[in-house]
Amino acid sequence: MQDAAMSNNMAKIADARKAVEQLKLEVNIDRMMVSKAAEELMAFCEAHAKEDPLVTQVPSSENPFREKKLFCVIL
Amino acid sequence: KDDVIAAASAARARRSGRVGLATASRSTSDPHPAEMATHELHPNDTLTTLKMESENLKAKLEEERAKLHDVELHQVAEKIEALGQFVMKTRRTLKGHGNKVLCMDWCKDKRRIVSSSQDGKVIVWDAFTTNKEHAVTMPCTWVMACAYAPSGCAVACGGLDNKCSVYPLSLDKNENLAAKKKSVAMHTNYLSACSFTNSDMQILTSSGDGTCALWDVESGQLLQSFHGHGADVLCLDLAPSETGNTFVSGGCDKKANVWDMRSGQCIQSFETHESDINSVRYYPSGDAFASGSDDATCRLYDLRADREVAIYSKESIIFGASSVDFSLSGRLLFGGYNDYTINVWDVLKGNRVSILFGHENRVSTLRVSPDGTAFCSGSWDHTLRIWA
Repeated sequence: MQDAAMSNNMAKIADARKAVEQLKLEVNIDRMMVSKAAEELMAFCEAHAKEDPLVTQVPSSENPFREKKLFCVIL
Repeated sequence: KDDVIAAASAARARRSGRVGLATASRSTSDPHPAEMATHELHPNDTLTTLKMESENLKAKLEEERAKLHDVELHQVAEKIEALGQFVMKTRRTLKGHGNKVLCMDWCKDKRRIVSSSQDGKVIVWDAFTTNKEHAVTMPCTWVMACAYAPSGCAVACGGLDNKCSVYPLSLDKNENLAAKKKSVAMHTNYLSACSFTNSDMQILTSSGDGTCALWDVESGQLLQSFHGHGADVLCLDLAPSETGNTFVSGGCDKKANVWDMRSGQCIQSFETHESDINSVRYYPSGDAFASGSDDATCRLYDLRADREVAIYSKESIIFGASSVDFSLSGRLLFGGYNDYTINVWDVLKGNRVSILFGHENRVSTLRVSPDGTAFCSGSWDHTLRIWA
């Protein structure tokens, strides 16, 4: 019985140590100000807006799903 | 396969209280049983001190994150133009599944789609013509995960069978696909999501057993396992290839974790959702990711600011978001919800741009096509819809 209790404790300690090491890693990473990160997200959107067919509407003829013509399957 | 079973049972052993897995980062060794006997109070003290250290570090983490919180994303976005009028309609309806559609994925050719269902069927469709090209019946029900291989020559799927299997697609329509099936991944609980990496050679999986894993398709060997979630992992997404070897996962522990694929290490962890995270998807630049949760919100997390930077929610939205994806430029976020609707959000400004009706039951899966011209949604109403 004592063995089971001891190894149970050892496992909990091992887990707790792992949690502490993980948190230390997470605390110590390099971070960027939200203002800067936000500017970069926006810049990406702006740079790619023209290529995004759902943001910049393209003529229906260029969107294969909007085209009205029927498709023939060549057998 | 032996490695797999060993890893899986080691994970289970950990949770049941037997000796834990060693991690490379620890410099001290575990107390030796002989030492334990002579310091009876020692183990409990150590546990208490470790727990306190844990709490202190968590507080420190929040402090560090708060230092950089100088502004909100939607404030920075006030200066850009609002989006134009948004019109999207159902352009195709794919009918053929006999039960709830649970998952779908696009082929890189931008027209083929693979979908999987509760009835055990996996179907490959041509979304332009709505024709079914292939169909496979899995030996289990609830096929919760499916993915198209980058080459377009195979599909992977799995669910309640706890496995991920790969089926090469044959040009011969009469060939029995099930005959060539290859079992790749083996978990100790249901498969919730799967994705090929950059090639047909490796698959990343997430499971109800609380882990994610990377597998070699050819040999079925476990290449890396990812431990850290405290409950079922429900979703995963690989970072766009330009940004390196990481992926994000979301789980029933309300956490979204970012992982290094090579080391198995969890790099960043975010816990702001109030319920299960059903879906995670990287922003196209790889610098952020979105999540959808049972708490009825979608959120955006910036990886370099290391924090949540936007919440997409409305008082009128009370049902969980099951699936999210970005438009090509990252400006729009599409969310499929359990109230049968699809909400379209302006990612930068934070407001809802549109609400799409059509499905007659929960939307369970949603993906934008590879060229961004459309998106596909799958539902418990047995159908898939293509919107453009």
